[in-house]
Amino acid sequence: MLGAAIVTITGNREAFIENYKGILEYTTESIVLQGKNAKICFEGSGLSIDYYTNEDMKISGKIDALRYI
Amino acid sequence: MLHWIQYLRGYVAIKVWGYSVERLLNLCGNHDVLVWDIEDHGDYHTMHISIAGFFALKPLLKKTGTRAAVTGKYGLPFFVSKMWRRKLFVAGLVCCIFFWCLASRFIWDIRIEGNFALTEDVLMDYLEEQGVHTAMRKSGLEIEKLEQALREDYDLITWTSVQLRGTTLLIRIKENEMPVYDNHNKAETDKGMDLVAEKEGVVTYIITRSGVPQVACGDSVQKGDVLVSGAVPVYNEDTTVRRYQYVEADADITLSYARNLSLEEEIAYEEKCYTGEAIEIPVVGTGDKEIAFRFRKVPYAFFDTSEEKKQVQLLDHLYLPMYYGKRTVQEYEIVSKMHTAEEMKTLLQERFRKIIATLNEKGVQITEKNVTIKKNDKKWVLYAHMQLEESAVKPVPTVTEPVEESEKEEDATTD
Repeated sequence: MLGAAIVTITGNREAFIENYKGILEYTTESIVLQGKNAKICFEGSGLSIDYYTNEDMKISGKIDALRYI
Repeated sequence: MLHWIQYLRGYVAIKVWGYSVERLLNLCGNHDVLVWDIEDHGDYHTMHISIAGFFALKPLLKKTGTRAAVTGKYGLPFFVSKMWRRKLFVAGLVCCIFFWCLASRFIWDIRIEGNFALTEDVLMDYLEEQGVHTAMRKSGLEIEKLEQALREDYDLITWTSVQLRGTTLLIRIKENEMPVYDNHNKAETDKGMDLVAEKEGVVTYIITRSGVPQVACGDSVQKGDVLVSGAVPVYNEDTTVRRYQYVEADADITLSYARNLSLEEEIAYEEKCYTGEAIEIPVVGTGDKEIAFRFRKVPYAFFDTSEEKKQVQLLDHLYLPMYYGKRTVQEYEIVSKMHTAEEMKTLLQERFRKIIATLNEKGVQITEKNVTIKKNDKKWVLYAHMQLEESAVKPVPTVTEPVEESEKEEDATTD
């Protein structure tokens, strides 16, 4: 689907996201990203962003839940 | 890999706080400013950003109402600028490495193993002749040639191994355990050798192994007389000499001769007495030049000077042409003294004993000795009459008139 965000999660420690529009909220407990049609919300603890560019980003930490709002 | 690139290009650690850090991150993404290791610390966020990115960050900070502070600088550009401030240190480091590289191209030590009969000094001198010495270039060393030369020039060496270990030249040799006989002296024997007397005397013992004895026991001989001839005659039937066979004369011969000896010793003598006064002068020098650290004159009338010097040594076999040491000047006085009778006797006897010991060492036997000591007020004289026995002979080439062959041949046929 054109323009849809791609989320790749490895176990519950790492997540790799491509094709997002921007970052809306960042705390150690939650990271909210803006996708084309929906917001993507990572919940967990000790979350940090390994790197952040226009195309992709990598999140590490303990991920408890992934919700589309 | 990525870490290396980041290190080479340099990066800074920053602390960001303010209204909306998320918006700053979005703007960074849109402006192609790479940020990584973003962490939330509640009140503020920390992140790493490239140097170029940090300079591009300024307008974005303004736009989003956030503030940033540098907490750390990492990477090669910062390291270089840090080093640039410590030029001398860097120059020293570079010089050190350069010197190291340069020095490792030379030989700084030579070790020789496995030599027993050939001393290290002899081999070192030989190596010097071959152009192998400490502080020579490694590239100038031809190992194969050196091994071969060692084997060829010394018959005693049967195996060689030359190795370069770092800057040490290790030479291992194996010497021939079988003795090497020298056959050069036997070349002239086809002419025959006589034994002649070296001294005037009386023959007391003669046993001939080869040659014709010319003297008998009890004969008096002069210096140069032929005792055993190397020319053995071959007779014709009429007892005339047909020809001579030449041999190397060999015999045990003892000559007896008399020798008189007199030793003088004066009663009065002068003795050096050290007063205990001494001056030590430090000395340094290089080559022929020498500097003594004393500029005043030595205040003694009579003095002995002794020097102790040490050469500056870097490694086992590497000496610098510089030395240091001390010169000791000791004052003495000359005191006139008289020997006692007892001392005189021991002095003379000691001197006589030494002479006898030397004679014994030479293989001279003393068959008779008669010693008298004459004394007067000034000196004592020891007179000795000795009868000595010695094998005083030496080989010389045989000189014999050649026999006229043709005449003898004719004689032989007519008979």
